[in-house]
Amino acid sequence: MSNMFFNEEEMGLVQAICSRLIPSEPDSPGAMEAQAYTYIDHALAGYFSHLQNYYRQRLHDFNRLANRYYGADYVRLAAEQQDELLHSIERMQVGEDSDDMRVFFEVIHEHTIEGTFGDPKYGGNRDFVGWRMIGFPGAQWGYTGEQMQLGYDSGQIEILSVTDLLKRHKEAEKEVSRS
Amino acid sequence: MSVRIDAIIVGLGAAGGLIATELARGGQKVVAIEKGAFYRQSDFLGKFDEIRYYCRSAIVPHMKSDPITWRPNEKTKAEVLPWASNTLGLGNPFQIPPSMGTGGGTLNWGGAAFRFREADFRMKSTIAERFSESALPEYTTLEDWPIDYRQMEPYFDRVEWELGVAGKAGNVNNTTVEGGNPFEASRSRDYPMPPIQRGAVDDLFCDTAKRMGYHPFPTPTAIATTDYKGRKACTNCGFCHGFPCHIGSKLSTHDLIKAAVEETGNLEIRPFSRVFRINKRADGRVKGVSYYDADSRIVDLEAEVVILACYALENARLLLNSGINGNGHVGKHLILHNYGWFNGVLPEITNSFMGSLQGGSIIDDYTSELIPDNEEGVLWGSPINTWTGDFQPIETIHGLPPHVPKWGKSFKDWMGQNFRRLFRMYSQHSTLPSNCYYVDLDPVVKDPFGQPALRITHEWTDYDAKAVEYFMRIKRKIAKEMGMLEWWEDSPTPNYHVTVHDVGTHRMGLDPNTSVTNPYGEVHECKGLYAVGGGQFVSQPSYNPTQMIFALAYLTSDHLLERV
Repeated sequence: MSNMFFNEEEMGLVQAICSRLIPSEPDSPGAMEAQAYTYIDHALAGYFSHLQNYYRQRLHDFNRLANRYYGADYVRLAAEQQDELLHSIERMQVGEDSDDMRVFFEVIHEHTIEGTFGDPKYGGNRDFVGWRMIGFPGAQWGYTGEQMQLGYDSGQIEILSVTDLLKRHKEAEKEVSRS
Repeated sequence: MSVRIDAIIVGLGAAGGLIATELARGGQKVVAIEKGAFYRQSDFLGKFDEIRYYCRSAIVPHMKSDPITWRPNEKTKAEVLPWASNTLGLGNPFQIPPSMGTGGGTLNWGGAAFRFREADFRMKSTIAERFSESALPEYTTLEDWPIDYRQMEPYFDRVEWELGVAGKAGNVNNTTVEGGNPFEASRSRDYPMPPIQRGAVDDLFCDTAKRMGYHPFPTPTAIATTDYKGRKACTNCGFCHGFPCHIGSKLSTHDLIKAAVEETGNLEIRPFSRVFRINKRADGRVKGVSYYDADSRIVDLEAEVVILACYALENARLLLNSGINGNGHVGKHLILHNYGWFNGVLPEITNSFMGSLQGGSIIDDYTSELIPDNEEGVLWGSPINTWTGDFQPIETIHGLPPHVPKWGKSFKDWMGQNFRRLFRMYSQHSTLPSNCYYVDLDPVVKDPFGQPALRITHEWTDYDAKAVEYFMRIKRKIAKEMGMLEWWEDSPTPNYHVTVHDVGTHRMGLDPNTSVTNPYGEVHECKGLYAVGGGQFVSQPSYNPTQMIFALAYLTSDHLLERV
């Protein structure tokens, strides 16, 4: 198991939620392909380690809600039912735990966004899925006046992560010092 | 310590960094005490990282280590900034005090660099003359400044030429210059560098504004646009506001400090050290400071002069925590900016992630005293500022228009269609200083060192909302004329009360009974103690405050070096 924090069952549930938050479509990958779930797993093992118990408990509660309303684990529900449950949690229309669950929805939503649109070094945005989705070239040393014109197609720019950019910068620096 | 120290500087941001540099270069022995790190330029090479600098707020204070509390009024119990303190990671990392470490707020600022207008020094009397003595709300403690534009012009010039500001003059020696701001006060010369690379949307904005009878001009920026005094020209990377500069184009006092340490041998920096008290001699003169060093040990340090140069809020906390508030004016007269954010989508691709946020133009037709006669009772105008670049994905998602779902296919489609077409306008409405809105020490909440947290008592007023709404109407008209597809607006009474332009907490004045410092920043009741920065402001213009903070810092250092 390559997870840093989640067990397999938790990971499955997180993946199912991510898949609905930024859904995959034919020719248009989403949070699943971006591996936003890996971002969340890594963040919980590191920066958000104080949220480990919080996540574990809320995921458990989340699945209990799925069972209570639909009679099955969230991962087994049809996409429409999965969306419906997320909508009702977001709107605070379910059960007595609704407030807690609504906040948890905000948290996992935020982390899915971060895992889809943040730099790939944090474990998500694999193959720049998030940045391709919105036309963002990522970490660029700069842009030229020619590129900064109305209507310029940013798709021509090679997308770079911070790591890619620094590698190039090092090469450029070496070249400068050699010359 | 056996070496005599001429000056202790507390905090190395805009004011402290510049004064430290000037005093060290002037031959004084300076020890600077800084809460944050002493950075190296290479720390910022990989700064193109929204997770690190935005989501996780790598260089700004966190509410756990630097708690601040807020309450809307005296009847309500204050709590740690509710918009910024979310332990679940849901906070708003923009509405907290500026970045820490060498350079302070000049690490993560946007670089807008404005001179005050002549009338900005006389806001109170200008309003009284223009409208009436009773036009101002009764609660305001607004005063005129004890200094004026003519006195400060050489200092504005010095900021622009010694530190380096890019822009286009509109009025040189009372002669109008094409392409600049026709409404600006007379200046002795142009900027040393041309305006920053225009964002793609700028032509459209300028053409529209001109068609509507306005006079757009390029936003002046403290960002090098040519190689200038060791600073490299900006590359338009689009990770500017909220991020440190990777090549030092954006003016940061970090670079000044570093050079002064290496070249003069007169400046010692003590990072990760927190001053908690100013000490006085028996005769009332300043003696020195007490601080927690990097290992949390208490150190007492003495010097002839102590300069408090933290953020306006933290300066007030230090004065209050040291019992230096004889006339009760410390922490009073708090002034904030209300921005009236106006976000929209254009039909054309603007590539709004490219370049500086300041790559656009601004109109000053209604700024400050130029406010048109109006029935709403708005007494002071604001520019219409533009925000053309520097949009990153996650921050954009945090500010989606209300009709767009936060998730699902519609969310995905909206971002795919519109992330490259964003454009923002804003203005900067100064709140009116008063005794109702102020900062003091929180009676309950302490920082990790056991020192009282600062407490903010502030609520937006009907007047604030009225001013914002008046300018929202102008923005809507411009948006329509530009052909914007949709737009959405921030509340005129936002849910945050720290704006990064918070000033006035130790205002300057000539009368020791009604002000905290003199124009040089020296605290009236404690000889040798200076409190500098935005806290000195008597009123706030509708421009960004930083150039004035630099100009005042030059004034203070000239005074300390006995040049004035």
